[in-house]
Amino acid sequence: MTEVSLLSLVKSYGGAPALRGISLSVGHGQFVSLLGPSGCGKSTTLRCIAGFEEVTDGRILFDGKDISRKLPEKRDIGMVFQSYALFPHLTVAQNLAFGLEMRKVPKAQIAERVARTLDLVQLTPYAERYPKALSGGQQQRVALGRALVIEPAILLLDEPLANLDAKLRDEMRGFIRDLQKRVGITTIYVTHDQNEAMTMSDLVVVMFDGAIAQAGTPEEIYNTPSTEAVARFVGNANILDLPAANPGAGTIDLTLPGGASLTIPAPEKPAARLGIMARPEQIALTGAGQGHLGGRVTRRLFGGGYIDYEIATDFGVLAVQTPANVLADEGQAVGLLLDPARLWPVARDAAA
Amino acid sequence: MRLAEALLALFRVLVYIFLLAPIAVVVLASFNAGNFLTFPPQGLSLRWFVTFLQNDVFIDAIVYSAVLAALATAVSLVIGTMAALYYVRHAGKEAETVRVLLLLPLILPEILTAIALLFFFYQIGVGLEHRIALFTGHVLMTLPFVFLNVTTSLQGRDEACELAARSLGASRMTAFRRVTLPLIAPGLATGGVFAFIISFDTFGISFILKGTGSAPLPIQLYDYLRFNFTPEAAAVSTVSIIFTLAAVVVADRLFGRKG
Amino acid sequence: MSRRRPLLLIAPAAALIFFFVMLPYINVLVMSLRMPGSEGKPFDPGFGFEAYAQFFTQDYYLSALPHTLWLGIITTAVCLLLGYPLALHIATASRRWRGILYGIVLSPLLVGIVIRSYGWTILLGNTGVINKTLKDLGIIVRPLKLMYNDFGVVLALAHVFLPFMVLPLLSSLQGIDPAIGQAARSLGASRLTVFRRVTFPVSMPGVQSGCILVFVLAISSYVTPALIGGMRVKTTTILVVDALIDQFLWPFGSAMAFVLALSAGLIVIAFAMLTRMKWK
Repeated sequence: MTEVSLLSLVKSYGGAPALRGISLSVGHGQFVSLLGPSGCGKSTTLRCIAGFEEVTDGRILFDGKDISRKLPEKRDIGMVFQSYALFPHLTVAQNLAFGLEMRKVPKAQIAERVARTLDLVQLTPYAERYPKALSGGQQQRVALGRALVIEPAILLLDEPLANLDAKLRDEMRGFIRDLQKRVGITTIYVTHDQNEAMTMSDLVVVMFDGAIAQAGTPEEIYNTPSTEAVARFVGNANILDLPAANPGAGTIDLTLPGGASLTIPAPEKPAARLGIMARPEQIALTGAGQGHLGGRVTRRLFGGGYIDYEIATDFGVLAVQTPANVLADEGQAVGLLLDPARLWPVARDAAA
Repeated sequence: MRLAEALLALFRVLVYIFLLAPIAVVVLASFNAGNFLTFPPQGLSLRWFVTFLQNDVFIDAIVYSAVLAALATAVSLVIGTMAALYYVRHAGKEAETVRVLLLLPLILPEILTAIALLFFFYQIGVGLEHRIALFTGHVLMTLPFVFLNVTTSLQGRDEACELAARSLGASRMTAFRRVTLPLIAPGLATGGVFAFIISFDTFGISFILKGTGSAPLPIQLYDYLRFNFTPEAAAVSTVSIIFTLAAVVVADRLFGRKG
Repeated sequence: MSRRRPLLLIAPAAALIFFFVMLPYINVLVMSLRMPGSEGKPFDPGFGFEAYAQFFTQDYYLSALPHTLWLGIITTAVCLLLGYPLALHIATASRRWRGILYGIVLSPLLVGIVIRSYGWTILLGNTGVINKTLKDLGIIVRPLKLMYNDFGVVLALAHVFLPFMVLPLLSSLQGIDPAIGQAARSLGASRLTVFRRVTFPVSMPGVQSGCILVFVLAISSYVTPALIGGMRVKTTTILVVDALIDQFLWPFGSAMAFVLALSAGLIVIAFAMLTRMKWK
């Protein structure tokens, strides 16, 4: 088990910055996700850790030792690629043995460790197959096995589920998380899918434009995002421009149309413009004339266990998600009930 | 519309025949029993193959050409594969320049390249000694074919495989040897076959740079055909065509279907 | 992987091309500016445009230039005419047939130039296969002149260079999604209209590179016109080789080579501009 520290990593390609000072520390056996849209620098960060990219500035520490100038093959990492990058000319067993052969492990030990790992990723019957003859999910497990069999200091995963269909993706999510816990390896996982990041990680790092926007537990990121962009990226979010009073006293007083007022916690850092975030499932529907806000249903989408409503209000169109038994017709006037404990002030984006 | 399509189909068949005719006619002529190149052949016979096998000049020329082609191909394979690796994996902005440079010998007129080389080697005082000029010319002629084929096969391969090997502890060299090389083997084989055939058949470079003494097969054949019209030349050509086809088929069987 | 550009990989190829292609060509360019030699010497000391002046004032040499370019243009046109239907055919053929047809198209490249020309001699000569057959059938009395003239040279050149036309055409045609044609037909276009409005314009890059390639190869070819044309078809390339190798007229031959390269370049540029204006 290894601790990984990134100290103000900077990477630029001929002047154009791809990473602008990434600092992060990942504890023993933690599962950390780098989450962000394409081009945010999450893959570049991973490639820097792996040694495929040379950092322009900053340092990468494994257990306090600076490895940022080491060649990739000297870093003791296991990596799973988006395309899996299985060696097509080698069998599953040979793919797994490759890393051990590079480490000059004795033959007998190689056979034993490969067998053990095949068992771990549930591929023992497929040892002599070539990758081409395996399904996507099986190939994925070979890639995992190949990365783990060498017992690396850390495990790096680059969008490993992107090429799988939805059902298999859900299955593999659980599989990878269980495996990681069992092996107890420090893991860094790159994804653009907030669902994957939320469900699997101990720590989620949201990145935009080459910088970390927020790092925290999945709950922190979801419930108390620091900015509007983070709030919107990790789930659906209504951002309300509510008149706020007394900022700076630890709490904020919000005045609602119709005179009602709510008190919510104030943000740690003062922002130029504040918006109030309310997640769709944190707004309840009630009868017309009741609740904090009034509105009219403009769209209803049945989602199985839930219903997605779009409600036109004085604050624009709000998304509301209710249990499937809460029924309102399109066109119907309704009241909206906000939960002050779940409202959260976020810094609005400059452009918004 | 039906008639137009039928005419088009007929036209296509004629073009395919046009492509094969001069080659087919040489092969047929080689089995001619008569003393001269007549058509249709005056009976079938292998006598001209026997004559050819007893003719040291042609046997020497074939051996000479084969050795020259093998050496030129070997050198081209090494240099061309390295260049292709650089072009596909490492060249940044200068990629297009690299490509044009490597294809120059193919784009420039062969006969002019040969003459330019002749002048050049005379001016640096080497001349046509030791067949250095001839060999250089053959490497130049074959290089673009290796480069093109290896480039194509590298581009079809995921770089992630090489990176995966590195992450598993393989040095750059080991990753190339254990992963990249087996994956691009078909491209290398095709490039090598092309290079061999080009070198075996090329005329302009050999014609200008051959120097004195023994000469490659195309030159020997050319000299022979200027004064003789017996079907022996056809027999030599047929053997040469069979050599070429065999090279293609062997390479295809060995590497064509894999990966 | 951008860690330390491995320049060593490209060094051997770069050195080879620089020392044995670029330097020799520059050397020829310099040679064309030297003084034509006297008393049997290949060249005299000093520099000037003497060699170029000689070329432009001697009709024997000058007249070969337009003839050479004309042969190149005709060969290119013949290749396009013969090659396009083949490329279309191969692009739409089934997998198995595609391999065979591909092989046929490439076959001229797999057989040496001397053997190919030899084959044409057997076919086209006065007592060759074609003339003999026609005579036996009573269609002609005197043999047709099929070689040792422009006809034979163009035929043999088109044969050799047809692969260079078909391959670029094929790669541009294979990029066309068959659904485009189906969509066009569903919108009411006839097959001919689909070809005229969709297929041909999309294949234009292939037409362009195929034509340029064939033209350049055709005007610079030496062996085919020399063998099939006998000494009766004189092209600038043949004259260049003659001047440089047999007559030791080094500056003169070099100058002639550069005039040919320059005029070919102008034609290629004009062609590229013309086709681009129309199709882009």
